[in-house]
Amino acid sequence: MGQCQKKVYDTSPAGPVLVGTSRTKFDIDLETWESITGKAPVQLGIVGTNPRPILSDLANDPDFKGTVLVDVMEMLFFMPDGSFAESSAKKRLDYYPRWSLSQQAGFHIGRKLEDHLLFLDEERFSLNSMLKRLPIKSRPGVFVFPNFPMDLEYASPNGQLAFTNRFLQDTSAQHEIQGVWTKLGLLSTKQGTGGDTLTNIINSVARSVNQIKARGGRVIFVRFPSSDPVWAAEQKAYPRKLYWDRLLKETGVTGIHFADYPELSRYQCPEWSHLAPADARTFTKDLTRIIEAKTNWPLQNVLSQNNF
Amino acid sequence: MVFNSYSFVLFFVLLLTLHNLPFSWKTKKINLLIASYLFYALWNPPFILLLWLSTIVDFYMAKLISVTEEKNRRKLWLAVSLVLNLGMLSYFKYGGFLLENFTILMNSLGVAFQAAKPDIILPVGISFYTFVTLSYTIDVYRRKFEPESSILDFALFVTYFPHLVAGPIVRPEDLIPQFKQPRKASSEQMIWGLFLLTLGLFLKVVIADGWLAEASDLIFSLPFPVNPLDAWSAVLAFSGQIFCDFSGYSTCAIGVSLCLGFKLPENFQYPYASIGFSDFWRRWHITLSTWLRDYLYIPLGGNRVGRFQTYINLMITMLLGGLWHGASWNFVIWGGLHGIFLCVEKIVKVWSQKRRKPAMAEELVLQATIIPIRSKNASNFLLALLTFFLVNITWVFFRAPNFDSAILILLCMFGVITQGPKMLSTPDMFKIGIVTMGLIFSHWNMRNRSVKGLFQSLPWWFSGTIWAFMLILIILTQKSTGSFIYFQF
Repeated sequence: MGQCQKKVYDTSPAGPVLVGTSRTKFDIDLETWESITGKAPVQLGIVGTNPRPILSDLANDPDFKGTVLVDVMEMLFFMPDGSFAESSAKKRLDYYPRWSLSQQAGFHIGRKLEDHLLFLDEERFSLNSMLKRLPIKSRPGVFVFPNFPMDLEYASPNGQLAFTNRFLQDTSAQHEIQGVWTKLGLLSTKQGTGGDTLTNIINSVARSVNQIKARGGRVIFVRFPSSDPVWAAEQKAYPRKLYWDRLLKETGVTGIHFADYPELSRYQCPEWSHLAPADARTFTKDLTRIIEAKTNWPLQNVLSQNNF
Repeated sequence: MVFNSYSFVLFFVLLLTLHNLPFSWKTKKINLLIASYLFYALWNPPFILLLWLSTIVDFYMAKLISVTEEKNRRKLWLAVSLVLNLGMLSYFKYGGFLLENFTILMNSLGVAFQAAKPDIILPVGISFYTFVTLSYTIDVYRRKFEPESSILDFALFVTYFPHLVAGPIVRPEDLIPQFKQPRKASSEQMIWGLFLLTLGLFLKVVIADGWLAEASDLIFSLPFPVNPLDAWSAVLAFSGQIFCDFSGYSTCAIGVSLCLGFKLPENFQYPYASIGFSDFWRRWHITLSTWLRDYLYIPLGGNRVGRFQTYINLMITMLLGGLWHGASWNFVIWGGLHGIFLCVEKIVKVWSQKRRKPAMAEELVLQATIIPIRSKNASNFLLALLTFFLVNITWVFFRAPNFDSAILILLCMFGVITQGPKMLSTPDMFKIGIVTMGLIFSHWNMRNRSVKGLFQSLPWWFSGTIWAFMLILIILTQKSTGSFIYFQF
C-alpha cells in the first residue's frame, strides 16, 4: 500500500490507478495493458468492497493529479456509507497512515520472503478457514459467509487475480461459486439503493471527480462484464437508466459500459461475474483501444512511442 | 515492533547473535540499549525523546534526592520527577479526555464553550514506563536503596525492550542487579525462553486473535441489541481474548528476556481460577496490582486506618487503576466495579469471621457426621465460578466502546432485551465455548502449580509434541494481526 501510495502520483491515462472490486482485479490484465501502453496500471482494487472511499481519498490528496479508472459494479458501488463494503474499504485506508516503521519493515521482509518461500493461502488453509469448512450446521437465522472453492484463483504480487486452470475445467467448482453468488445476493432482483441515499452517493462521487479534475487529473468509469443470471439480475436490480446513466450524467465523467461494445460483451464469465485469464487479455486490449477512441487520451501515442 | 512480526524475528535473531558474541559486558549492554531504542523507535521515532527525557530526569532527580538531607528539598526533587512523569502521562493520555469533560461541564453550567479537538497521539507504552521510572524515584526517596550510579544500567532498566511497552512493570530490584554481572542464557534457559515465546505467541495469535477477536469485535461494534446467547458469547470471547492477549504478551516478554539471560517477574497466575476479587488481583496483572498496592493503596493508609477508610482507599485505588487503563469513563466504571466487589468481599469476610465463632459447635457436629456435607474443593470451585461470572460483567465496561453500548450488552445478557438477532455462527460459538471451558479447567488445575513444573513432570516426547502442536497452529493461524490490546494503555 505504501509503495502504491507513491506510484499513484505518477499515474496517467497510459498507466492509470485502478479503483474497484474483484472485477478490476480479474478483468484487467495488467501485463497486457503494460505491453500496449508501456506503463503498468496501479492496482488498488479490493475484493468485495466499495470503491468510493479510495476515490475520495485520491480526490482529497492535493498531490494526486493522475488518472483513475473506476470499476462500477453497481451492487458494491452504490452501497451506502457505513455498509460492510464501504467500511471494509475505509478500514484499509485508515491502516496506511498508522503504518509504523516496524510494519513497513515487516512488509518489505515479507515481500522478499514471499519470492523465495512457500506461503500459506490464508483464505483456504489457515486454521480458521479449515474449521469453517467443517460440516457443522450453523444456528438458523445466522448469516454465514459462504466458502469459496479451494482452488479458485491465484494472485500475483502486482495485485492481478486470475482463475486457475483447474477451476476453469471444473464445472462443479464453477457451480459451487455460482451458489456463493446466489447466497451473497448477486442474483437478487430487488431494486438497489434509491432516494436521497442514492442522490448523496452520486453527489459525493461528483465532488471527488471535480476535485481530481480541478487539479488536472482524469477519471473514467468502466462497467465490466458479467453474464447469464448475474447480468440478468443486475439489469433488474440496477436499471441502467437509474444508475449508470445518471451517474455519468451527474458526474460528467466518460463511461464505458461493456454492453455497448460487441467486442467487450462477447464473453461468457465462467462463474457469471469475472473473466477467464485469456478473455481478460483480449478484453484489456479492446478496452484500451476504446478508452483512447472515446476520450482522446494519449494511450496509443505511448504505444506508438514504444513500438517505434 | 510486535513479537508476532517478521521484523521482530529478524531483530531478535540479530540481537541474540550479538549478545552471544565475545564482546565485553559493557558493549553487550550498549547493544541491548540501542536495540531497545530501535524496538521502540520503530513505532514512532519522535517519542523516543520522551523516553530519554524521563530517563535523564529520573536518573538525576534520584541522585539529588539521595545526596540531599533537607526534607523539603528532597520533596522538591521528588516532585520534579512526579510532575514530569505524571504530566507527560496526563497530557498524552488524558489531555483529550479532560478537555472533553471540561467542555461538557461548562455546557451543562450554561457556559457556551467549544474546545478544538486536540490531535494527540498516545506514545506506545507510556503508562508502563512511567510507572517503572516512578517506582525508582519514589523508592530512592523512601531510602529503600541507593540510586543507581551507572546511567547505562539505569537507561537499560527503563528501556529494556521486553518489558518496555506492555510490562511486566518491573521494579529496580527486579532488573538492575541483573545488569551488574555478565549474563548469557544457559541452554536450559534458552530452551525454556523459546518455549515461553512459543506459548505466548500461541495464546496471542491462535487463541486471542485467531479464535476470539472476531466474535467479540463484531458484537461489541453493533449499534443494536443481539440475542442473549450472542451477548454472553461475545463477553466470554472478550474475557478469553484479553487474558490470552495480555498474558500472551507477558509470556513472550519473559521468554524473550530469558533467552538473553534476564529474568522478568511473573504477571499472571491463572486469574480465572480466582476465589474472590482479592485473589483475582493477586493473579491478574500482578505487577500493576502490586505497584498500585505499594505506591497508592499503602501510602493512602491501606487497611491500617479503620474499616471505613480502608474501603475508601480501596475504591480510590481501583478507580485510579481503572483510569490507568484508558481515558474513558467506562474504565473508571470497570475499576469502580472491581473496587465495590473488593469492598463487598471484605465486608462478607468480616461478617463470616464474626459469625463463625458461635457456629463452631455446630460445625463440629457437621464434621463428626460420616456423610460429607460439602467438599471444600467443590465450594471453592463454585466461588471461583462466581468470581469468573462477576469478572465477566466488569469486562463489558472494559470492552464496550461507550457506556450506552455496555448497558445494551448487559440488557441483552440478562434477558431484559430478548428480541435481538442471532449473529454468531455455531462454529464461532464452539470456539468460544472450548476456550472458555479450557481456560476455567486449566486455570483451576494449575492454581497452585507452575507451567515449568508441569512441563518438567512430563516426558520429553510429550512436551515436544505439545510444543510442535503450538508451533503448527501458530503457522496455520498467523496473519497480519493487530497489536496487543495493552499497547493502547
